[in-house]
Amino acid sequence: MTTIEDLQRGTDSAVAVAAPNGAGSATTVPARVFTPRKKKKPWKSWLLFLLFAGPNVALLIVFTYKPLLQSLYYSTLQWNLGSASAIPVGLGNYVTWFNDPGTVRVVTVTLIFTVATVGGGMVIGLLFAVLLNRKLHGRGAARTIVVAPYVLSGVAVGLLWLFVFDPNFGITAALLDAIGVASPPWYNDPHWALVMVIIVYLWKNVGYVALIYLAALQSVPRDLLEAASLDGASPVRAFRNIVLPLLGPTTFFLSITTLLSSLQSFDIIQAMTKGGPLEGTTTMMYQIYQEGFQAGRAGYSSAVATILFAVLLVVTLIQMKYVEKRVHY
Amino acid sequence: MTATPTFTINRRQILKLAAVFGATATLAACSGPSLGAGAGAAEASATDWTGIVPAKEITWWSNHPGTSKLIEEEIIKRFNVENPEITVNLVTAGANYDEIAQKFQAASGTNSVPDLVLASDVWWFRYMINGQILPLDDLAKHLEFDTADFNTTLYDDYTFTGNHWAIPYARSTPLFYYNKAVWAKAGLPDRAPKTWTEFDEWAPKIAVDGGVTPLGLGKGASWAAWWFCNMLWGQGGAYSDEWTMTLDTPEAIAAADYLQSLIYERKVATVAAVDQVADFGAGLTGCIMGSTGSLTGILKAATFEVGTGFLPEGPEGQACPTGGTGVAIASDRTPEQQLAAGMFLKFLTNSENTAYFSSNTGYMPVRTSARDGETMTKVYAEFPQFRTAVDQLETTRSQDWGRVFVPNGDKELTTALEKIMLQQTDPAEAFAVASVAIATSFDENVSAYL
Repeated sequence: MTTIEDLQRGTDSAVAVAAPNGAGSATTVPARVFTPRKKKKPWKSWLLFLLFAGPNVALLIVFTYKPLLQSLYYSTLQWNLGSASAIPVGLGNYVTWFNDPGTVRVVTVTLIFTVATVGGGMVIGLLFAVLLNRKLHGRGAARTIVVAPYVLSGVAVGLLWLFVFDPNFGITAALLDAIGVASPPWYNDPHWALVMVIIVYLWKNVGYVALIYLAALQSVPRDLLEAASLDGASPVRAFRNIVLPLLGPTTFFLSITTLLSSLQSFDIIQAMTKGGPLEGTTTMMYQIYQEGFQAGRAGYSSAVATILFAVLLVVTLIQMKYVEKRVHY
Repeated sequence: MTATPTFTINRRQILKLAAVFGATATLAACSGPSLGAGAGAAEASATDWTGIVPAKEITWWSNHPGTSKLIEEEIIKRFNVENPEITVNLVTAGANYDEIAQKFQAASGTNSVPDLVLASDVWWFRYMINGQILPLDDLAKHLEFDTADFNTTLYDDYTFTGNHWAIPYARSTPLFYYNKAVWAKAGLPDRAPKTWTEFDEWAPKIAVDGGVTPLGLGKGASWAAWWFCNMLWGQGGAYSDEWTMTLDTPEAIAAADYLQSLIYERKVATVAAVDQVADFGAGLTGCIMGSTGSLTGILKAATFEVGTGFLPEGPEGQACPTGGTGVAIASDRTPEQQLAAGMFLKFLTNSENTAYFSSNTGYMPVRTSARDGETMTKVYAEFPQFRTAVDQLETTRSQDWGRVFVPNGDKELTTALEKIMLQQTDPAEAFAVASVAIATSFDENVSAYL
């Protein structure tokens, strides 16, 4: 039997055809793959490559890789934003960050915010998706309502919720007052402030998770569920043993995308708390902005950005290496 | 279900990748600051202005303080009547002073630098040590600016090493606002308390008879550490003496103790959740310290009659900081552009336009002639509250360097004050943390550039 490895040992063109078919269908491919084909001239394929990929690669280089490397370089400087000159300090900025007494707080806030928004978002999003997948009256409207906040601008959402949470005039205060509870000090207590921005972030972004899960739920084969039901499986059991595993790849995809956007979120914090009070909502992302543009410490801010980048890279690699293996396709 | 894309990489691909990264890295290193010791402020220019012809077009970055876009456009129109050969492009470069500063600093070294830029009290110094703005004394002399007519404190706010680096424009101070209806209910005289001791006597009456929390306090960056100057200086303390932090003095601690006691012991003050001005306007608090820049807004929004007065005195007397913004000229422009910018700056801050701007926005008239002129006299007649703000100007002083000149200075002080106000932290402890952080920031970010 021909395996994918055999194919890879073959000609370049064989690999090119076989790879997209993937491991699962390897056995069906060989007959076609080994049909002798005229090899393309290398410069021609390069030209094609440049034509199709060139503009994208150029944009990536100019707007992603160049700034990335530039920021890496700036992180070794002691440089006031706006100044024409800078002093090289090597790893000094990194040493400062790791020794700063405020770093523990920033990392803790970042961790709590990320875990709560990613974990909370996945659970609530899945719950919404399951509900919206049922044949309910007004399902279309409900789907729109759940997804709508996701397409709104973060700043607008932040400004709106600024009023909702106002302990004197806000809706939450009025609702809590109706059941005889005083409004928590959302804006004057660093812990409540963090809870508040997490709630708003979830409200805005849960629609995205729900949308993706909903799409995945609709592609779960109905016959599997019917078979399970015939075999006497309860709906809960069918969900746990059939639907959840089938949602594996979606969950994996969502875990990466929501983690990345959560660690990089900025707009809601900027609009609602500006990282306060007492820096209780200052995440690493917000710290980068604050140090770079408020304090003008461009080098230090670049160092924090590099650390955040390294964290994101490592977390994503771990997810791809370990979590992906456990996902059932 | 789709198949897993297999991700393998061979030696050749790694080499290609490395080449791409290498090329990008080379590209990256091409831009950015030059290396070496800090360049520092721009030198007083040796430009001989006499032979220079002003440029035909200049750009001005503003955030139109006090919703003044139409006012600024009108002033440009008037300028063009006198100088039809110079076009002034007014650019909305941000929603506040910070956003302008962020863009101005990011534009440094590019050809997108404006000729004129707003330089607020906490930003002009940074522009200066970065070498981004021009010392103005020579140019002002050449253009015969009447600088003696400026309010001395406001003009000298922008002095360092013997040069002026900006011209006062939209300037403000904190002001004491009180709810006249509450005052009447509490049986108090229709005026602001003269001293904090007097406020202490009045506060229980405001709470009990007036039925509101007597004093509303504001928190947050660019704000708390500004109004606190009043309590701090009133006790004889200061944030810093030039570059040396002085928050460990008994006077500074006494000021913070007093602030804390208002909230926790006497319970006559509350820290606003979002906006102390809105809380005051809604009648939740009896009085606040607000910016003179909020005067027009407060008078419009409040459903009760609003009284204004000087900030209360401390044991060491009257103490009020200045604030707001000036206008600076960028150093990285041609002498022709700088000359044209100087001509417009002179026009923008002349007596007539100062009065026009002030009367329409509520900012302080920065010139004595404008303050006493016909336009402003009419305004005082209509809004006597405005007169109080202008009179208080005589008692103001420039801010401590530790707050306004050191990067993160305001942020560290805000954090310290929030700890004191929101968490009842021991003032000595909170101030000690801030002092160390500000001193470190000075060493790292300022001293190398001086």
